[in-house]
Amino acid sequence: MSDRKLPRLLQTPAVLLLLVWMLIPLGLTLYFSFIRYVLNNLRRPEWTTPSISNWRGFGNYEFVLNNKDFVLAIQNSLLIVCSILFLTVILGVVIAILINKTFPGQGIVRVLLISPFFVMPAVNAVLWINMILDPVLGLQGIAVGSINDLIGSLREAPVIGAFFSLWPELEPISFRATQTSAYAVIIMVTWQWTPFAVLIFMTSLQSEDQQQKEAAVLDGAGAWSQFRFLTLPHLGRPIAIVVMIQAIFHLSLYAEIEIVSRGNGNKNLPYLIGEFANNNIGAASATGIFAVILANIVAIFLLRMIGKTLME
Amino acid sequence: MAIVAKSSKFGKYGRPTLAWIVGLLFFFPIFWMVLTSFKTDADAVKPEHLIWFTPTLENYLNMTENYDYWRFAKNSVITAVMATLFTLFVGIPAAYAMAFNPSRATKDVLMWMLSTKMLPAAAVLYPMTFLTKSVGLFDTKFLIVMVLSLINLPIVIWMLFTYFKEIPKDIIEAGKMDGVNTWGEIKEILIPLAWGGIASTALLCFIFCWNEAYWTVRLTTTDAATLSKLIEGNRAPEGLFFGRLSAVSAAAVGPIVVLGWFCQKQLVQGLTFGAVK
Repeated sequence: MSDRKLPRLLQTPAVLLLLVWMLIPLGLTLYFSFIRYVLNNLRRPEWTTPSISNWRGFGNYEFVLNNKDFVLAIQNSLLIVCSILFLTVILGVVIAILINKTFPGQGIVRVLLISPFFVMPAVNAVLWINMILDPVLGLQGIAVGSINDLIGSLREAPVIGAFFSLWPELEPISFRATQTSAYAVIIMVTWQWTPFAVLIFMTSLQSEDQQQKEAAVLDGAGAWSQFRFLTLPHLGRPIAIVVMIQAIFHLSLYAEIEIVSRGNGNKNLPYLIGEFANNNIGAASATGIFAVILANIVAIFLLRMIGKTLME
Repeated sequence: MAIVAKSSKFGKYGRPTLAWIVGLLFFFPIFWMVLTSFKTDADAVKPEHLIWFTPTLENYLNMTENYDYWRFAKNSVITAVMATLFTLFVGIPAAYAMAFNPSRATKDVLMWMLSTKMLPAAAVLYPMTFLTKSVGLFDTKFLIVMVLSLINLPIVIWMLFTYFKEIPKDIIEAGKMDGVNTWGEIKEILIPLAWGGIASTALLCFIFCWNEAYWTVRLTTTDAATLSKLIEGNRAPEGLFFGRLSAVSAAAVGPIVVLGWFCQKQLVQGLTFGAVK
């Protein structure tokens, strides 16, 4: 009996820890989402302590659903996540195919390529928004400035000057602004996560059936049809996995959004929860439950796919 | 014929050149950060010193003065190391049990563990703040160690499980014949055998802990603040301090990027939960 029972008991600490870690905070979120609970309210001080007598039913959910910011946050979350997924998958496939064959320095190129993935999110955001994208002092500002200088000096030139004087001055883009801050986040996260896609697609390409490919070449298949009918189907599964894992990670983006514009024009669900949590805990919790539901929609598909390969 | 000749020429020169360009482009922002870190704050924003400048180490030498770098770095090291050790301490026995004594529930337990990883952290932001403040754990290293451990425990167990599964059961069984007990089996047979796998799992766990940027920012103020918190707190230098900010950023990510180079393979396994081979 003890022969098998003791070994099995060894997983209990891990299971218990994760159970507590998951159930207690999530249970509290669920509870708070059904009561009136605010941190500051002078007129109704009884709302400032969580209590079952402040029961509000689905009132918080209604409040959140009717909140303009919530709709914007959902839209923005989807814009950010979908753009990043689109860019990383396309870039990932192209780059993976590009560097899959051996060439001089392949190892070094791989190391260069994978590096962005290990940069901590806070540094990623600070680096891009200041040193690179800043409209005046960053590389963007300097590049735009020097192009303008070049055009300006060409205007003075004889003959062709008349042509260049028709050109407009270029305006640098301010990426901290309301309309553009989401794009800054998309750029920096794409930079960070494309290497991840590349790495996974490369791993998968290495198990591609080479004989099948050779046969296709003998049959006169061109590069495009090889890609379309052999490589792409082979990559189907890894693409699905890259999409789902990234979706789960990027739905909870936080540091980048905070650093780029403090959420200005660019709130996603986690950011909105953070804002609500400054005072209206009920609304923050209801938003949290919505975020859980959204993440679970993706997670179910991902888990099913992982489950299939688990016991092989 | 012509097409074949053309494509092989591309394969010989075009492809490597293009690959190198892509690699250098992706690395460029990191290179730029490191380059800027050797400029004075004044030089860092002058177009005429974009590439030509007198390199200086002052940004690195003044990191303590400007940012109190070492205090945050110490917290990062302590929390990441402790969290990694604790995760292994809990994770190795669990993965051992699942790999060598699986039951019908094992698969479901593993899947459930992974599902905890997929919950959005923000959903439990307030309860976590509330709970930790009410028991006096807010802004303590102990709390950050526990949180980092629990975030990474599912991935660590998963990775260890896939490594342990590769070990033939007979070897472990042979230990039983010799009268070794369960702890002995883990300590004397399993750990030496799976040493490589355990080491790379630990490395990856350490990297994830180091880079964590939600809880380390939201659950700390000063005492347990890590490098993520430090950088986040200096988000907008308005061009005044590009040099010194680059230096402290480079110091925060440098060691981890280098460590990352050594565990690319494990990264694929760890992040896809073994679903891509």
